Amino acid sequence: MALKDIKAKIGSTNRTNKVTRAMEAVSAVKMRKTQERALKGRPYARAALQILSRLSGGADLVRHPLARAREPKRIALVIITSDKGLAGALSANVTKAAREALRGYPVEAVSVYAYGKKGMEFFTHRGYRITGFWENRIDEVELSVMDRLVADLTRAYAAEAFDRVIVAYSNFRSTFEQTPTIRTLLPLSLEEVRKLVEDIVPSKGKYSTLDRSQDVPAYTIEPEDAELLDLLVPRLVAASLYHMLLESKASEHSARMVAMKSASDKSKEVVRDLTRTYNKLRQAAITREVSEIVGGREALAS
Amino acid sequence: MANAFNLTVARVGENLFDGQAVSVVLPGTEGVFQVLAHHEPFVSRLAEGQIHVVAADGETYHFDIEGGGVAEVSHNEATILL
Repeated sequence: MALKDIKAKIGSTNRTNKVTRAMEAVSAVKMRKTQERALKGRPYARAALQILSRLSGGADLVRHPLARAREPKRIALVIITSDKGLAGALSANVTKAAREALRGYPVEAVSVYAYGKKGMEFFTHRGYRITGFWENRIDEVELSVMDRLVADLTRAYAAEAFDRVIVAYSNFRSTFEQTPTIRTLLPLSLEEVRKLVEDIVPSKGKYSTLDRSQDVPAYTIEPEDAELLDLLVPRLVAASLYHMLLESKASEHSARMVAMKSASDKSKEVVRDLTRTYNKLRQAAITREVSEIVGGREALAS
Repeated sequence: MANAFNLTVARVGENLFDGQAVSVVLPGTEGVFQVLAHHEPFVSRLAEGQIHVVAADGETYHFDIEGGGVAEVSHNEATILL
């Protein structure tokens, strides 16, 4: 490589380094924000769960149309991934886990709801039917989009278009650890929701404290149990889904932050190596020139 | 503080009110009712309307209910989900 080329390459690598460093910082901020939002939403999910489990110890819940388990012949998959790459193996891990979970179901028996481009592309290529698709571009979780998704899912579930709804998303455990997770959204079960609420707490770091709740006496319930369940169950489904979206967002940002960090480190390393090569080459050129001059003089003197 | 209770008013994704309150007036499906401290445990559906909260520090808050909600009271704690 010529000296000039190396110099150009050092310049471009430095520019890449600036970009990746900026992206790292931005992702770090976004990750914090998403975590805060997830925590803010937790009281809702926890309260809804508590009310539901106190209402009847889950006995009536089993009879609710959205909680009654059926033989799973057809299945709906909600896959939550990012729209963009540059986040390591994050989306690939989620799609892999989702595919694993779909094993045993023929392609025709699966409806895919994709939130995020990566998941959509993955399942389109493999011949699955994409029933719904939303872009995951914006950093906010849009409640309107989520409401529609929940409405679609519950309606189709009640109409028995499918017998089970599972969600594949990536669970934020810590900045360095995001686990691809599969959860059953419908039929709704208290255990699943409880697990989810507990998962909202990351395993390490600033927000990793959890307060426990206490048991409760008998209630005066007005009007009817069933009516309350009709109201609570869809809300709990919505709250669960909302949290899964937030977890995915937090995972995406933290994965991107880590990926950008290693990209920045790598680019620094490349710059160092290139600079060394550049200096060596330049020195070699100078030495060659000097020896040429000296050689020429010798030739003239003799 | 003897007559205050813990009140949480939450919507999916945001907490509207979280703290000590003296009184909250709710539009139930069977009529408007008020919850004070040491109310008996109950769960109830809410109709559309407005929630009026009087916080322990005397401040008042109003929230609109669209599309119904659930109120739950136990252990001197009230939770309202919209």
